[in-house]
Amino acid sequence: MECNLKSGAGYDLLELSGEVDLQYSPQLREKILGSLRSGAPLLIDLGRVSYIDSSGIASLVEGFQAAKSAKLPYGLLNISATAMQVLTLTRLDKIFDLYTDAAHFEAQL
Amino acid sequence: MRRTLEKTGATVLQWLEHTGRMFNLLLLVSFELLQPPYRLYPVVRQMYFIGARSLTLIVVSGLTIGMVLGLQFYNILQRFGSVDLLGAGVSLSVIRELGPVMTALMVVGRAGSSITAELGIMRITEQIDAMDCMAISPSKYLIGPKLLAGLISVPLLTMVFDFVALFGGYFVGVVMFGVAEGSYVNGMIDTVEWSDVRIGLEKSLIFGLLVTLICCAQGFYMHLTKAGSQGAEGVSSVTTDAVVLSSIAVLYSDFLIEALF
Amino acid sequence: MTSVAGTSASPAISIRNLFVDYGPRRILTDVNLDIPASQITVIMGQSGAGKTTLLRCMLGLKKPSSGSVNILGTDIVRASRRELNAVRKQMGVAFQGGALFSSMSVAENIQLALREHTSLDEKTIQIMTRIKLDMVNMLAAENLMPAELSGGMTKRAALARAIIMDPKLLFFDEPSAGLDPSTAAELDQLMITLKTTLRMTIIVVTHELDSIFKIADHIAVMANGRVIEFGTPQQIIASANPEIQGMLNRKPRENIVDTDAHLRRLVGG
Repeated sequence: MECNLKSGAGYDLLELSGEVDLQYSPQLREKILGSLRSGAPLLIDLGRVSYIDSSGIASLVEGFQAAKSAKLPYGLLNISATAMQVLTLTRLDKIFDLYTDAAHFEAQL
Repeated sequence: MRRTLEKTGATVLQWLEHTGRMFNLLLLVSFELLQPPYRLYPVVRQMYFIGARSLTLIVVSGLTIGMVLGLQFYNILQRFGSVDLLGAGVSLSVIRELGPVMTALMVVGRAGSSITAELGIMRITEQIDAMDCMAISPSKYLIGPKLLAGLISVPLLTMVFDFVALFGGYFVGVVMFGVAEGSYVNGMIDTVEWSDVRIGLEKSLIFGLLVTLICCAQGFYMHLTKAGSQGAEGVSSVTTDAVVLSSIAVLYSDFLIEALF
Repeated sequence: MTSVAGTSASPAISIRNLFVDYGPRRILTDVNLDIPASQITVIMGQSGAGKTTLLRCMLGLKKPSSGSVNILGTDIVRASRRELNAVRKQMGVAFQGGALFSSMSVAENIQLALREHTSLDEKTIQIMTRIKLDMVNMLAAENLMPAELSGGMTKRAALARAIIMDPKLLFFDEPSAGLDPSTAAELDQLMITLKTTLRMTIIVVTHELDSIFKIADHIAVMANGRVIEFGTPQQIIASANPEIQGMLNRKPRENIVDTDAHLRRLVGG
C-alpha cells in the first residue's frame, strides 16, 4: 500500500493505492488519525485501492469516529464497486459520506 | 494363559507409548516456550489457578500434619526422655519428606484433576483442533503456561506448607505439652542441614513438573486413548487416571530420590 | 472412474491420490478432487463415507498415508509447520459444535487470532470484532460466555471467529446440525453472501440435503472412502449412479403390509 498525504485548499487529501490489509492498515490508521489531530478536514481517495480488508475498514471507521468527535468533515472518495459491496455487507455504507468528485467535498467545507 | 499375557503386554505397551508421548510433549513445549512471543500474563493466571487457589488447602493440611507429627513424635520421644529432639524430628520429616510430598498430592487433587478435565473437554469438543487450525500452537498456548506455573507454584506452596507444619509442631510441643521453646527451635536449627532443605526444594520442583505434565498429558492426549470416544464419561475416567498416575509418580520418584541421594 | 473431479480454472485446493488409514482400516481410497476458487463446494455423503476424514486432511489435522493436498500453492502434506501455519492463516474453520473456547467470551474468541498473529491496535481489534459480530447478527452477545449461547448463536459466533481475518478459504463441518430451519436458512444466505461479496472459497461438509442444493455451486459425492461423483447440482441430480439416486431420494418408509410380522416386531415372540 502506498499513501500520500497532501495538504491543500483547506483540507487534507489522503491518496491510497494498492492493497490495504493486515500488514498496512496500522500505517493507514496512523496517517488518518495524525491528519485529524492537526485539525484539518480529511478526504480519503480510495480510487486506486485494489483490495481492502476489514482491518483497513476498521481504520476508516475509527477515523470517522475521531473526525466526528473533533467535528471535522471526513469523506471517502472514489470507492470501488467491490469495496462498496463490503461496506454494504457490514452495513457501513450508510454512515460514511461518499463522494465521486473532490469538488463536492470542497463545496461542503 | 496366552490371552492374559497378550493383554498384559498390550497394557505395558500402551503405558510405554503414553510415557513416550509425555516426554515428547515436555520437549516440544520446552522448545516452543523458548521462542517469542513471550507472554507473562498466562503464566501468572495459571499460577493463580494452581497456586493461589490451593493455598487454603495447603495451610490447613500443613497445620494439621504439623500438629499430628508433633503429637506422634512427642509420644515416642517421651518414652525415651528425649523430648528436646521434638524440633529436630518434626522439621527433618517435614522439610525433607512430608512437605514436598503432601503438597504435591494436595495440588494433584485440587489443581491437577481440574487441569486434566479442562484439557480433556477442550479436546473432545474440538477446541484444541480449532486452535491448531488458527495457526496457534495448542501446546505452547495451553500447556506451556501450566507447566511453568506448576514448576514455580509447587515449590512456593511447599515452602508455605513447611512453614505452617513447623508451626503446628511447635504449637503441639511447646504450647500444648510444655516442651522448652529453646530446645524445639534450636533442635530444628542444629539438625536441619542445607542439604536437607535443598533436597526438599529439588523434590518439590520435580514433583511440580511431574504432576503438571502428567495431568496435562492425560487430558490433552485423551483422543489417542479409548476414553477419547466416550465423551463425558471419558473425561471422568482420564481425570481419575491422572490423579492416580500423578500420585503414584510423586510417591515413587520420592523414593527414587531418597534412594539415590 | 473419474480421473480428477473438478473444474479447469485454477483451483483453490487440489487433492491428488489421497489415501488415509487409521491403523488397519482404510478410510479414504485414491481421492482426487479440485475445489474451485470463490465458489461453494459441498462434500456430501452418508455417515462413514469419509467426509470428515477428508476435511481433516484439508485442515492439516490428519496426515494421509499417501497423496498430496495442495492449498493455495502449498502441499500441506509435505510442508513444514511454519508453511502449514502460513496457509492456515488464510483459512477459517467453523467446527460442528462451534468449538468456541470455553474460558473466553465471544469477543475474546473472535479476537484471539488477531492478538496472536498481528500487532493491531486495541481499538482496531475491537472494531473488527464488532464488524464481524454484526455480520452474523450477534452484536448483543459480545461479552457473553460460550456456555450462555444457544445452538444457533454458537454457530454464528463460530462463523464470526472463522472469518475474522478475512480468510480466502472457509470450511464448514455440518453447519446446519442442530439448527431450526429458519436459522439454517439464515446461515445458508450468509454463506452465499460471503462467497459473492468477499470472494471466499467455501467448503461445506454435510449430509443435509435441503441446504446442499440451495447453496452449492459444485457437489462432491462421497461413499465408502471415495469421491464417486463431482459436478454441479444439476449434474448430480441427473446422475445415473444408483447409489447417488438412493441418497437423493428419500425412500418413504414402506407401508405396513404384513401386520402380523409388524406386530411380532413390536411385541416380540
